[in-house]
Amino acid sequence: MTKHKDISPNPGTVAKTQESSAAAEPTTSRGIPRRAFMTGTAAVVTAATVLPNLRMARAAETGPVKIGFIEDLSGNLAVYGVQKHHAAQLAVKEINEGKTLKGGPVASGGVGLMSNFAANPPIMGAGDKDLKYVDKGGALSNSGIGFVEDEDVLIDSGESGILGRKVELLAPDGQSNNNIWQQLTRKLIQEDKVDCLVAGFTSAEREAIRPIVDQHKQLYFYTNQYEGGVADSNTFCTGAIVEQQVIPVVDYMIRKFGPRVYTIAADYNFGQLTAAWTKAFAPLVGGKIIEEEFVPLSVSDFTTSIARIQAAKPDWVFTLLVGSNQSNYYPQASAAGLEYPMASTVNMAQGYEHRRFKPPSLNRMYNCVNYIEEIPTTRNRAFVKRWYEMFPDDPYIGQMAQNTYFSVHLYAKAARLAGTTDQETVKKALESGLSIEAPEGAVFLEPSTHHCSHYIRLATADADHNVSFVREWPSIQPWWLQRVGVNLVRNKEYKQYIPDEDPFFSMFSKS
Amino acid sequence: MDVLPLVLSLLYQFATSAAFFFLAALGLVVILGMMNIINLAHGELMMIGAYTATLTVHAGVPFWLSVILGFFVAAAFGAVLELLIVRRFYGRELGALVVTWGVSLVLGQGTLLFFGPFLPSIKIPGGSFSYGVFSFSDYWLILVLVSLLLILGLWWLYNRTLYGLQAKATMQNPEMARSLGVRTPRIYTLTFSLGAGLAGLSGALLAPTVTIAPFMGQQFVAPAFITVVVGGAANVIVGAVASSALLAAVKTPIGMAFGAFSGTVALLFAALIIIRIMPNGISAALQKYFIRRAGGAAR
Repeated sequence: MTKHKDISPNPGTVAKTQESSAAAEPTTSRGIPRRAFMTGTAAVVTAATVLPNLRMARAAETGPVKIGFIEDLSGNLAVYGVQKHHAAQLAVKEINEGKTLKGGPVASGGVGLMSNFAANPPIMGAGDKDLKYVDKGGALSNSGIGFVEDEDVLIDSGESGILGRKVELLAPDGQSNNNIWQQLTRKLIQEDKVDCLVAGFTSAEREAIRPIVDQHKQLYFYTNQYEGGVADSNTFCTGAIVEQQVIPVVDYMIRKFGPRVYTIAADYNFGQLTAAWTKAFAPLVGGKIIEEEFVPLSVSDFTTSIARIQAAKPDWVFTLLVGSNQSNYYPQASAAGLEYPMASTVNMAQGYEHRRFKPPSLNRMYNCVNYIEEIPTTRNRAFVKRWYEMFPDDPYIGQMAQNTYFSVHLYAKAARLAGTTDQETVKKALESGLSIEAPEGAVFLEPSTHHCSHYIRLATADADHNVSFVREWPSIQPWWLQRVGVNLVRNKEYKQYIPDEDPFFSMFSKS
Repeated sequence: MDVLPLVLSLLYQFATSAAFFFLAALGLVVILGMMNIINLAHGELMMIGAYTATLTVHAGVPFWLSVILGFFVAAAFGAVLELLIVRRFYGRELGALVVTWGVSLVLGQGTLLFFGPFLPSIKIPGGSFSYGVFSFSDYWLILVLVSLLLILGLWWLYNRTLYGLQAKATMQNPEMARSLGVRTPRIYTLTFSLGAGLAGLSGALLAPTVTIAPFMGQQFVAPAFITVVVGGAANVIVGAVASSALLAAVKTPIGMAFGAFSGTVALLFAALIIIRIMPNGISAALQKYFIRRAGGAAR
């Protein structure tokens, strides 16, 4: 499979590339659901209209393909940055070794939608890194938790690197400092002239560098889960967002534990906006936010917050706490005897609090995640195994690490489809309806909003910090930006929408 | 809501918050308050204590013993640091500031490279009990008691021992102390080492309540400096106790009524106002007050 090599920049190349990638990456063909088929057709039509218009590749495309990568390798946020850095290193190594993830411009679908179901959710013990033990939970049934012994999704790409060029990762340290982030972004774009930028943990970091990205029309991947709403022609947000995380979990928690919600959130744009989302959405499912508390990132003593929660007597607590300092909330609350059920979009899947803190600090924590290391599918176990072979000392693989991993592979796919690393052309290729088989399941990059559909699982920890999955949604679309009318394929935009801009929510919030 | 549980909860929050400020400032009280070294590696010294405690607890050592080990490991490290680096910067405050900042960067990043981004935490010793809607953690109450014992211990050390006398003499007038036979370099090393050890001790004591990470010390640096500066240098122990109590008394009710954000803002405002009206800190103002009162009584 060496068809990709020596591709000359002519319009015929694109079709050839598409064929060969389809040949190299066979997709499962049994029983594609109708919706996925329709989306697939639409994607092929999009691809057919977009691709002939792709600009010619520039002649100067020699040397390595440079992927600029900024994460926090030191400081308050290093716990997340180191994981993401390792994810990018793993993906780049695989690309250079001639590997790719399955997928292509074929729309969402894939294994997740066709899985068998286990009667009981598979539960794994804590501290088991190689996931060698999985309990299938008895006989297969028609409902329950999707669990299928599919094959690994890492396959041969037919070439080493991207378009015959080696991939190089330029990964300076953001030091958990937004000013340094800005300097590094300028350097990577202006001096190193990276072909693609993958960067950003907090929303504050993203918003600090996004103006620089837009000024230079830099192709940019933001791989974190976040509060949603970024509609930016140069930015591709591959993490899960509120409609994929907050809405399912709030719905579940209100039904299971009751309507009175106490939100305790990190005091910056992520916490504020996610809390605003929760407030906007809770009334739709009969809930009520009785109190919102925003905690500065520097706070590490939570005695007063714990007393406030006890005085408010909620049915459950929505925790949106970020960074090492704020993780202290869990052991402190547990030691103070605070035993409310908790929900989150970041904890556990990101900072692996269930591994770091002694049980039962995270007892009855619920989180809708697009990835968590404990996902019991074969493809994930293979991914986890590959990861720990390369980084045997790592403590955990979080959701933003997995997002970074598949995003780098997604970039490689798009560049191959485009036949060039020219950034405008790759952006168009990314807008052609690409799907990729990530460790979590099938992920579809929705062209008009530059966000991804995700396989969402509702994970929970018990009193011993064993993780189990209580519900799952094989594909949740990032629908809200479409609702407010964003179409980046037609209209260029560079802003972030907030829930206040959607009158839909205020209709319901009068209570 | 019943009033009594609320009052008790507020008292408990006040005590734990004051204990947190005092413990965060403990090592710095000696190093900044007495030796006048702006020690930006204070947080990392606490981190060393916390890491020592966590690693030894995971190795099977009882928690109280690991706290004591935390003191000695940090003290030994402090002694080495003083002998190799810090002693070249006495009297040069800005030089000491930059060099201790450099040390803190090396320690933080070195720990990240050596131990990774996290250590698994220690379980908080003790359970909890509840009264009314509120519940209280045993361990925090123990920390309050330990803080009181540490205050007494420090007072005894500096007012009833030969070392305390020599240390005070050295800090006030090194040349005079030397001429009276005090080996001042040894006093400097001992004092810095004591400060480092106390930082390690409070790091170890606070370890169960916080995330054990390479940069964990930074969360204590701001509260520590605020506490020591607000307390003032006239009498560092009285100053640290008074400013811990005062800052906690501002932060607790406002935090309880309006949330953590307002509590933090109120705390910073209080510090600002206190330093404005008492530029030399609470202890200097208290000293002036008592001297004036004593003078008035004598007349």
